[in-house]
Amino acid sequence: MEEALAVAPPRWALSAFARLRSLWQRWFLWLILAVLVSALLVTVVWLAGRHEVEQVQANLDRDTADAVSDLRIGLQRNAQSLRATQASGLDRTHWPDAAASLLREHREWLRLEWRDAALRPLEAVNTPYRMRLIADESRGADQSDVGLACAAARKLGAPAYSPSHYVPILGGGGVEVMELCVPIDAGGFLVASYSLRDTLIELVGPTLTRGQEVAFTEADGTRLVALGTSRRTGTRVFTSQQLIDLPGAALMLRVDGWRAAPDLFPNVLTALVTAISIALVSVLVLLARDTRRRLRAERDLADALAFRKAMEDSVITGLRARDLQGRITYVNPAFCEMVGFSPEELMAGSGEDIEAPYWPTELAHEYQQRQARRLAGGMPPREGFESVFMRKDGTRFPVLIFEAPLINAHRVQTGWMSAFIDISEQRRIEELSRASQERLQASARLATVGEMASLLSHELTQPLAAIASYATGSLNMLGPHAKGEQAEVAMAVRRIAEQADRAGQVIRSVHDFVRRRDRTREAVAPQALIDAVLPLVRLQARKLGVSIEVALEDRLPPAVCDRTLVEQVLLNLARNAMQAMDTAEHVGERVLRLRVSRVVAVGGPGAEDARRWLEFSVADLGCGISEEVAGRLFTPFFTTRADGMGLGLSLCRTVVEQHGGVLVFEPNRPRGTVFRFTLPST
Amino acid sequence: MQPLIDGLIFIVDDDASVREALAWLLRSRRLESEHFASAEAFELRLAEGPLPDQPLCLLLDVRMPGTSGLVLFDRLAERGLLDAMPVIFLTGHADVPTAVDAVKRGAFDFCEKPFSDNALVDRIEQALGASLRALEVRRVRRSLAGRVAELTDRERDVMRLVVEGLPNKLIADQLAISVRTVEVHRARVFDKMEVKSAVELANRLRDL
Repeated sequence: MEEALAVAPPRWALSAFARLRSLWQRWFLWLILAVLVSALLVTVVWLAGRHEVEQVQANLDRDTADAVSDLRIGLQRNAQSLRATQASGLDRTHWPDAAASLLREHREWLRLEWRDAALRPLEAVNTPYRMRLIADESRGADQSDVGLACAAARKLGAPAYSPSHYVPILGGGGVEVMELCVPIDAGGFLVASYSLRDTLIELVGPTLTRGQEVAFTEADGTRLVALGTSRRTGTRVFTSQQLIDLPGAALMLRVDGWRAAPDLFPNVLTALVTAISIALVSVLVLLARDTRRRLRAERDLADALAFRKAMEDSVITGLRARDLQGRITYVNPAFCEMVGFSPEELMAGSGEDIEAPYWPTELAHEYQQRQARRLAGGMPPREGFESVFMRKDGTRFPVLIFEAPLINAHRVQTGWMSAFIDISEQRRIEELSRASQERLQASARLATVGEMASLLSHELTQPLAAIASYATGSLNMLGPHAKGEQAEVAMAVRRIAEQADRAGQVIRSVHDFVRRRDRTREAVAPQALIDAVLPLVRLQARKLGVSIEVALEDRLPPAVCDRTLVEQVLLNLARNAMQAMDTAEHVGERVLRLRVSRVVAVGGPGAEDARRWLEFSVADLGCGISEEVAGRLFTPFFTTRADGMGLGLSLCRTVVEQHGGVLVFEPNRPRGTVFRFTLPST
Repeated sequence: MQPLIDGLIFIVDDDASVREALAWLLRSRRLESEHFASAEAFELRLAEGPLPDQPLCLLLDVRMPGTSGLVLFDRLAERGLLDAMPVIFLTGHADVPTAVDAVKRGAFDFCEKPFSDNALVDRIEQALGASLRALEVRRVRRSLAGRVAELTDRERDVMRLVVEGLPNKLIADQLAISVRTVEVHRARVFDKMEVKSAVELANRLRDL
């Protein structure tokens, strides 16, 4: 166990980890989505760019192929034109003219030669468009390029070409030249020298050179001549090469096209894709926001639900909902705890004709009738009604039930909602206070009887004393030696005295009942006296809205008294005090103050006493006591209350005086009355 | 039937019938009484003038409206009137412990109502006897004090020394007068104080 504790990560770390994980889970999908979308965008843009590049390249390739085909046709035509100069037979005088005219037509040619079979030059004509480039002496029979071309031509029996060669020009520079050798029927050859540069200009045409560089290269890529716009910086180059396969020679036509570096939106497609992507992202963002709002709403709802649940779970009032058929649809934990059944047990078998499990078996029939009445639409009392339920263990307990129709949001009654309060504790307290009240009332009755006896005896003693006095006085006057009628009168008077004495004896014996109570005196702590009456006083105080203040001095000695009687006195005084504050004209606070303190004197001033005394005081903030009432306050059977017997205060005084104390009252400041009484202490 | 003592009895009781009955009873025994309905009324009477110079007794009811019998008793005790006027409490049954307490504090007696009347009157007569004795003592003292007051300063000095037991010669030395003069003074003191010897004089003065 301890080991596990030691190994387990701290609680905060766990919770932090869990939070992190949920955060991660929430954001992970969004992250993947964002990555995918951007990857898609990049791919689409890239594909669009590539497509564009491919299209440009394809265009270039097509142009190049066209150019190559044009070139080939041109070269073939030229070769035919050249051969045509020999068609009407050879004539050394006329051929130069024909050659010259031919040269005028074909600016790509630099020179035409007529050679014999041994390749010796017979005639030669130079192009009129240029300065003489090729010296006659350099064009002997042993000129290697011509030889190569003518050898191929002879072999093929058709025009053939030589590889290009460089003819330097005096004063720097030079021209790339390619020889064309056409065999003629009479034996011999016609040789034309092509300027490669002019060939490009004449045969490829101006369209291809616009915005592009056109060049002849050798098979290995060596550039021979180039034509067209020179390359701009910051541009992308597209290259297309195509082989021109000529008999006896191989040339490459290379076209370099360039375009500006692709723009952000190189074309409509890219722009469209981008726009759609942006729209997509926007939609995603909106969706995300919506989801977040939804999440928040869900969380709020969950919070509200949790709060509602916590509320229902924490109230001590039992709650129960029934549908219109009488089935239980909801119970809260307090209700379950009250009856001891689980929610499942309660909600399971309770149907229209089935008894609820918490109904006491002996009362089930009655309850069923009550439920039927309710289901038939009978409204329950608003102030609730009391009933008896049964716990799972079979014990019965009283409950207070408040029932109301359950009305949903559409104002339709869907069932009945009931609240239950377990009042067994309340009942117990009520029983308890009733019992102690009965006890006190019994002792009060006893005390009242005692007081009546005391009262009667007091009231009767006075006349009896008077009777006895008169009788004795009369006898004294008649004297001991009376005679005749006087003696009879004396006898009668003596009888009167005897009867008065007898009445006095009767009263004395009745009075012994009161006096006997003296023997029940005991030492009681003042706190115990107050505590004994406080529950009853509180009961009434709550009813009248009176607050109670109790103040006892520290370390008070116990009082020597008849406990029950003194409690009765305290209760009487407290009740009087509270009733004095319970009048319609009484406004302001209602406070009842009970105090116990030590005093040295009892009675009036100067009555110093060796004994120690306790003074109990009961003060109210009521209307006070008028002069007229004050004079008769302790008179027996005097009362200001309609239902009073008028013995309360008189009894209180008797009790206190029996203990040797005094009961006095005086106005309270600022208003009300204070009653004080003293009791001897140990 | 002649009363033994010519006394005066005060009755303080709130019940008129009891007062009158008691007065009748006392009259039947040739005793004079005055009655009051309350402690206040009696105090008023005390305030009017000094008590008559005769044996007195006070019958006091314990429980009365207004000032109670006990309070009145305490006030009388304070004024030192209890010797000249013994107090007998009249009590109901409920007040017996209170009355017993009062007797402990100097009351002459208490009597429970309804009383056996002649016993009460006997007790009253005893109280009057006590009062008479107190009156006698007071009277003697008063006459003695009057005689002492009649002496001259010199005679008083001589009397003081005589009571101390000094012979005439020493008295003369102390007062710086002649023995003869002392003898004259001494004779006059004896004459005025109505005594015949120094011992008798000393006894008289002890009462004062």
